[in-house]
Amino acid sequence: MSDTKINPDDPRLTAYALGELEGEAEALVEAAIAADPNLAAEVENIRAMAGDLADALGEEALPEVEPVELFEPEGKRIEFPLGHRKRRRFPYYWVSGLAAAGFAVLIVFQSAESPIAGREGVAGPAATAASQAGQSVVASTPESERTRTPLRVEIALPEAGVSGPALVDASIAPAAVVTDESAELSRFEVDESGDDRAGSSERVLSADHIVQLEAAQQPDAGLSALPEGLSATRPLSIDSPGLSRDNGQHVAQFGTVLRMQNDIQTGNEEQVIELSPFTVASVSDRAYASNAASAPALRSRFTARSMTTVETEGYAAIEEHGWMQVAHAPLSTFGVDVDSASYANVRRFLLNGNLPPMDAVKVEELVNAFTYDYAEPSPGAETPLRANLEVASAPWAPQHRLVRIGLKARETTAAGRAPANLVFLLDVSGSMHSPQKLPLVKEAMRLLVGQLREDDRVAIVTYAGQSGLALPSTPVRDGHTIRRALDALRPGGSTHGSSGIHLAYDVAKANFVEGGVNRVILCTDGDFNVGTTGLTELKNLVAEKAKSDVFLTALGFGTGNYQDDTLETLANRGNGQHGYIDSVREARRLLVEQVSGTLETVARDVKIQVEFNPAQVQAYRLIGYNNRRLAAEDFNDDAIDAGEIGAGHTVTALYEVVPSGAPRPASPGGTIDALRYQTLDPPEVRPDHAHELLVVKLRAQPPEGGASRLHEFPLVDAGRSFAQASPDFKFAAAVAGFGLRLRERSESAYYSYTDVRHWAEAGITIDPGGYRAELLALVRRANELSQM
Amino acid sequence: MTNLPPADENAENWIAEAVREHQAPLHRYVARLLGGDFDRARDVVQDGFVRLCQQPAAEVRGHAVEWLYTVCRNRAVDVMRKEGRMRAFADGEMENVSAIDPRPGRAMEKAETRAAIIELIDQLPANQQEVIRLKFQNGFSYKEISRITKLSVSNVGYLIHMAVKQLRQQVAAQQI
Repeated sequence: MSDTKINPDDPRLTAYALGELEGEAEALVEAAIAADPNLAAEVENIRAMAGDLADALGEEALPEVEPVELFEPEGKRIEFPLGHRKRRRFPYYWVSGLAAAGFAVLIVFQSAESPIAGREGVAGPAATAASQAGQSVVASTPESERTRTPLRVEIALPEAGVSGPALVDASIAPAAVVTDESAELSRFEVDESGDDRAGSSERVLSADHIVQLEAAQQPDAGLSALPEGLSATRPLSIDSPGLSRDNGQHVAQFGTVLRMQNDIQTGNEEQVIELSPFTVASVSDRAYASNAASAPALRSRFTARSMTTVETEGYAAIEEHGWMQVAHAPLSTFGVDVDSASYANVRRFLLNGNLPPMDAVKVEELVNAFTYDYAEPSPGAETPLRANLEVASAPWAPQHRLVRIGLKARETTAAGRAPANLVFLLDVSGSMHSPQKLPLVKEAMRLLVGQLREDDRVAIVTYAGQSGLALPSTPVRDGHTIRRALDALRPGGSTHGSSGIHLAYDVAKANFVEGGVNRVILCTDGDFNVGTTGLTELKNLVAEKAKSDVFLTALGFGTGNYQDDTLETLANRGNGQHGYIDSVREARRLLVEQVSGTLETVARDVKIQVEFNPAQVQAYRLIGYNNRRLAAEDFNDDAIDAGEIGAGHTVTALYEVVPSGAPRPASPGGTIDALRYQTLDPPEVRPDHAHELLVVKLRAQPPEGGASRLHEFPLVDAGRSFAQASPDFKFAAAVAGFGLRLRERSESAYYSYTDVRHWAEAGITIDPGGYRAELLALVRRANELSQM
Repeated sequence: MTNLPPADENAENWIAEAVREHQAPLHRYVARLLGGDFDRARDVVQDGFVRLCQQPAAEVRGHAVEWLYTVCRNRAVDVMRKEGRMRAFADGEMENVSAIDPRPGRAMEKAETRAAIIELIDQLPANQQEVIRLKFQNGFSYKEISRITKLSVSNVGYLIHMAVKQLRQQVAAQQI
């Protein structure tokens, strides 16, 4: 390459863009750029990247530093102010001022307790200064230094008493430091925009400020409550895995209440600590700022923080429904659910090394994440659905019967399907930019487009700061146009879900296919965070549009601020499915293998009502479907909304049944007294149906709407054991057992993950697509995590 | 330790200045070299400042920062050699430091973008990572980086060019 010619890949161009060239070299590049607009553009691009790099790296967390201490020969100490501090995202600053405060106190504490010769030089100035200032040092030493009895030291610290932390021996450290000083409130606030913590702690610990210190002589009893400014509402992170509940006693209680999210080991439990009007600090012996700071302590703090990430994800609380007495409630009614979002979400948690939050585990969605080999409705049958019933012993309670209701919808072929009019409503807000989000959305949409017929239509609506039509409705035969539009999507701006939804529905309406598949497919992390969009407003909108036969499928992506309940609610209202896509594999499962089901609804508002025979059944419980329960009278009311079933879909529901004569299961909600007027024992049963265990009644509306039709499927119990059950039954039971176990974390759960694995292994003989094997891995993972 | 008092009577001031300005960024840089070991990095940085104090002021005046980075880098390389852990950058530790802090609105988006860029930087070869950080995080010129790392200026330029090019491609691919 000659010096007079510069190509766009020349390092000199980069050097020029970064201002590293001077003189002749600079002039040379300048001339080349002036002559070639491509080079000019390249320079602009390099500078843009450089700006992003400087921004990203500039914002990278700076480590917590203590002031370096240097000694001059005469022993005169040079104290340096603390390091230059930019805004930091890492919450070290929570502990910072307090850590320093802890040190200051610690030093005096040591000197009060045992003035070790070698440390006198360090502790000296503080003690000396304290006495110079005429302040008293009061220390009550515990009877035994090795006990965990709190040691109470009251001490007044003058300003000069703050010594350099670099010289502090952290082997004896306070487990909690309480500084009771309300007047200095503002000094303790940690300012993100750049406060010097050591400085502030020095100020706080200036003369006349009483410091109360309670210390435990327990090196590992580390607890660090980090004051987040004065905010009393944000969860605080705790930096030591060694936190034990009895640490609570070391933290003095004052006025304000701070809620602290507890650490990994104690799960989601919240510890409420009452605080003085300004702050409580507990400094662990492994506090980062101390000499003894260690990698484990650091890591655990990171872990604790990643736990708090989980908390911004939204899950509606699931109310468990317990056992029902047949005598009082012979009917059990619920709407079907073919969602499987919870499974992918649970998988994400487990693969990331966390047990999922209880409310993220929806047992029915776990069970329905797998397909089962159920018989289809016979050709020409009036109903598009067929119920496959099976009953055997419950693996976790052999004296109980487990009833499986397996619905199978009619399969349709792509050729036989009605034409589709799809609108992809894609969230391209900034929160979608991570690799698990927008790129995965694009990949998922490409997969879906690949499954469509040439006469289907696709439009793309994006929403961010403002919504836009990225692609007008385009026939799939112009596949490359669609793909190009997908490729061109870039994230940016914040989310405004509702205006995007309006536009998407308008586009769908404008291209409405009579009798066809008209559907908006929403892909988002559900973070509708701009504007006044209320969930109710969105729900009403979606429900309204569903009446005009434009349905909504909601696909969730990404992690961190994933809003599960928002999406599920929207999908339910929009007569569509809700899926969670965490990988290309999941996208393939949902959008390729089950594409006909995702696109074509064969039955609407599918409801199930089970009537139990009181002669055979004493009590029952429906496993999962906790937010799908309906009142008995809703079953025959077509105005009541329920789930839709797509072509080829399977739906599985499980009932655990207590046969008459078996011990009555303990009910968490208390018992119902025997009835005064009705004699229920023995119950009177119509003799022609006495041999049946139960009857499953199914109601569904045809896809085009209209009156629902009723179908009945009675079940007779042949008394089979779990071992005699079909592989499908065993596997579904195992998945349900897994979900129940994940929701019931307590030690008292009467079966282990290993049990679950054995049941699943028995059911894995049929494994189309290899999805069942994955469950085994997840069960193993959950087992490991539960023992950590 | 035997310390020579700095020749200049204003020594305390300029050293104090250096500490305030550069201690934390230097600590971060050294911690990166040491595979995320912040404790060890603290020792190295402390040592570096102590040595700075021992320098005749005239020797380091004007390029004290570069001097500090050079000394600390050498010390870090020694530590790595001695402990046989020549892995230049460990996975995990720094990623955690720069992990996304969920926040509403724009701040979060920015944070996510930054985190994504940091993640991409972490995937670069170790020598490219180092020069990229020295250039864009610590603000050194090619020449200063050349003296700190003992690489030639053109080599530094080449590494930065390659790294920026690579990052641009990846950012484009990820649509950050």
